Amino acid sequence: MTAATFQWLTLVTLTALTFSVAETGLSGSSILIPVLLATLLKGRLVIDRFMALQGVSGPWRWVVLGWLLLVLGLIAYTFLYS
Amino acid sequence: MWFFILAELLVFGVFFLAYAFARMRNVELFNASQLELDRLSGAINTILLISGSYFVVRAVDQIRHDQSRACTHWLIAAMACGGTFLILKLVEFGAKFEAGINMSTNTFFMFYLGLGFFHFMHVILGMVILGAVALKAWKGGYSASNYGGVETGAAYWHMVDLVWIVLFPLIYILN
Repeated sequence: MTAATFQWLTLVTLTALTFSVAETGLSGSSILIPVLLATLLKGRLVIDRFMALQGVSGPWRWVVLGWLLLVLGLIAYTFLYS
Repeated sequence: MWFFILAELLVFGVFFLAYAFARMRNVELFNASQLELDRLSGAINTILLISGSYFVVRAVDQIRHDQSRACTHWLIAAMACGGTFLILKLVEFGAKFEAGINMSTNTFFMFYLGLGFFHFMHVILGMVILGAVALKAWKGGYSASNYGGVETGAAYWHMVDLVWIVLFPLIYILN
C-alpha cells in the first residue's frame, strides 16, 4: 500500500467516524471537540501530504495551516460560547 | 497560483466565520434548520472529494514517472468524483427547493444554499482546470522534467477539497 493510499483511507475513516458521531444524536461540546479534532487532522493531511507542503521552504505551509487553525479555533469559540 | 489559492481560502474563511457568528445569535433556529439537511449526502460528498484528491495525487505521481496516459486516467477519475459530487449536490438542492426552502427562508438556509452554491462553482472550476491538464497530459504536453502545470491544477483541486472538509462538519454536523 502506498503512503497516499493509507492517507486516503485515514481521511475516509475520519469522515465515517464524524458521520457516525453525528448519527448518535450527541450535541454540544461532547461532539464539538472530537469533530473539530478530526477536521483538523483531515485538513493537516490534505495540506501536508496531498498538497505536499510539508518540508516546502517558504511560508506557504504555515500560512495554509494557520488559516485552518484560525478558522477551526474561531468556530470552536462561537460554538462553546453561544 | 498560491496567491490565488490563499485568496480563495480567505474568502471561504470569512464566510465560515460569518456563519459561525450568525449562529451565536440564532442557535435554536440553526439547530432546527440543520435537522432538515441530508447528512448522509454530505458525508458521501466528502468521501467523493477526498477520493478525487487522492486520484489527483496519483496523477501527479504518474507524471513524475513520465506516465502521461496513466496521469490522464487518474485525472479523469478525479473529474468523475467531482461530477458525481455535483449531481448529488443538485439532487440535494432540488429537494430543498421542492420543499419550498430557498435563500430567504431563514438565515441558516441563506448560508447553507449560499455557501453550497459558492463551493459548487469552485468544484466546476476545479473540474475545468483538471480537464485542461488532462487534455494536455494526453497529448504528451507534460513529462517527468516538466509537470508544473499538473502540480498547479492539483493544488487548486486540493484547496476545493480542503474547504469542503471544513464546510461539511460546520454546516451538517456541529450543533
